[in-house]
Amino acid sequence: MMCATCKGKGMCGLPQCPVLKRFHAQARTAPVREFMGYSPSLFIGSYGYPRVAGGPLLIDDADNPPSWVASGLGIEDIVDIRARTIRGMSHVTPYLPALQELAISSIPLDVEVRFTRPVSFDLTFDGTVAPVGLSGSLERMKVIDNPKVDPSVDRVISDTDLGAMGACSELHQSGIDVYQISGLMSGGLIGRRRKVVPTRWSITAVDDSVSIALKQKIARYSSIDHIRVFSNDLYANRIIVVLLPGDWRYEMIERWGPRSLWSGEKESITVDREGMKKKGYSPISGAYYSARLAVAEYLEATRQCARVIVIRNVSADYWAPLGTWVIREVARGAMNKPGIPCETVDEAVTIAGMASGFPGWGSYSTLLPEIRNQRTLFDFRF
Amino acid sequence: MLKATIDADILKESIDAISALVTECRLHTDENGISTRAVDTANVAMISLLLKKEAFSSFAATRSELGIDIAKMKNIFGMMAKNDMITLELTDDIHKLQVSFQGYKYSITLLDENTIRKDPNPPTIELPGKVAIPGAELNSAIKAAAVVSDKIALGIDAAKQIFFMAAEGDTDHIRREFGKDEVSFINGVEAKSLFSLDYMKDMGKVMSRAEEVEIHLGIDHPAKFSFNIAGGNGHVEYLLAPRIEAD
Repeated sequence: MMCATCKGKGMCGLPQCPVLKRFHAQARTAPVREFMGYSPSLFIGSYGYPRVAGGPLLIDDADNPPSWVASGLGIEDIVDIRARTIRGMSHVTPYLPALQELAISSIPLDVEVRFTRPVSFDLTFDGTVAPVGLSGSLERMKVIDNPKVDPSVDRVISDTDLGAMGACSELHQSGIDVYQISGLMSGGLIGRRRKVVPTRWSITAVDDSVSIALKQKIARYSSIDHIRVFSNDLYANRIIVVLLPGDWRYEMIERWGPRSLWSGEKESITVDREGMKKKGYSPISGAYYSARLAVAEYLEATRQCARVIVIRNVSADYWAPLGTWVIREVARGAMNKPGIPCETVDEAVTIAGMASGFPGWGSYSTLLPEIRNQRTLFDFRF
Repeated sequence: MLKATIDADILKESIDAISALVTECRLHTDENGISTRAVDTANVAMISLLLKKEAFSSFAATRSELGIDIAKMKNIFGMMAKNDMITLELTDDIHKLQVSFQGYKYSITLLDENTIRKDPNPPTIELPGKVAIPGAELNSAIKAAAVVSDKIALGIDAAKQIFFMAAEGDTDHIRREFGKDEVSFINGVEAKSLFSLDYMKDMGKVMSRAEEVEIHLGIDHPAKFSFNIAGGNGHVEYLLAPRIEAD
């Protein structure tokens, strides 16, 4: 069951991911050679790194997942928007200044683009990045608007002595959302030794960097008093967050239900956890870091510390991989709800089981037995 | 008020002992020395540390309380050499600790004591089984156990007069027994409890430096690890709550 871990990275060695190939479906090609309109952000591919290709995303949409969720778009609507999106591609270097303007701007910019050939339909999905439908090789690109730059973005990108991790955390603290931070990282605008970073890598790098910084702060707060279970459900992704009293521990259990995207006839379950330090890359991949970010944001905002178990249960109705932003936004949505208080760990396990539609999750957790079995000093007479 | 000079190594040893469990603590000073007692966020482990005035090369203090950011101290003291002499100075009116060594002068802002958890009560748990073992031996057994499992059993077999440490993983098992020739049995009564290696590993690193660690054990009860630091002029006690496996 490698698919659930790989999510289209090509670990099986096949030239094209057989799961993602299913989406090479209906083309509604509008074979334009020129585009005049808005570009909300840039896209850098990971193929052939470090000689990567990249360019602007071209669509009359803000490329901002929280707004898709807020306006109640369904999977079909999002795939539809993304299918109309054009990804201009070229060697990055000649267009880098223009792409960086897109990255630093907090609003989409008006651009004029000419392609070498009419754009072709090439709907690509990927576990981490939101899908894109059309692509074309850039012949010319001109940014017409002036970018609107947030003062904190201006400050951080001008600081060449600030490391990339510090930059991510500082931007996040100033209220810049991770979506723009990952654009800045992709455009090679933050850090000491600046490089263009493929979009799918920068998404997870930003999630990770921001939540590592949050984690250090959270570890100093006092623990929550009561167990709470949070849940949310969107695009057939159910996310349950169980917060338990104690020091920072984080565990994520991801279940791809039978016949869902990355599993076969049988369900596929991946578990990973961490304490204050995390070794290596999570087998759950980007989703692990996106969910961790959402929970860490909540704990930092409420100035509390907790042990965290995140359960993600994905059913077959999640028919198109939309990107890790789904996990981030579903988990953020869960943490925005009041949550259900629980008296005991067992009660929390039952409630989380019902809410997630995955009643047997407890047996996969390694943190749970630790919590159940570990006594505190106050259990003994002092 | 505090004005003291101390060897860098001793101060580092003390800070390391505290930082194994907590990131901040309240330090109490009086004319006899400094002390602290703190419980970790999860209420699983406690440290009590005492540094007598004899551990310092010069010491003068009145009764006061300092909120110390242990994590920050650890970073600062990372650059000290082994035999540097460090001067600590605190005046009553400012909330800053002056630390000077090697010609550097640090001014460290203290934490507001009210933001740090209250001191726990001194423990009064009765733990009958007592053995004493070299700290290095204890630490190697902990490291060995961590390879196969996340928990370790500590116990005394009263009939055989054996002190044992055992870890059970999903597939592997490791056991180290110490006989009379390796440990001294102060009170060799039957005892056995299970402990989280997450905590034991951090504590083990600190204890590895101690010549002798006194371990107090019960049956499914906390364990107490008690050892000297600063060449006998200081003392540390760790108390660790057990894990109890439901069958």
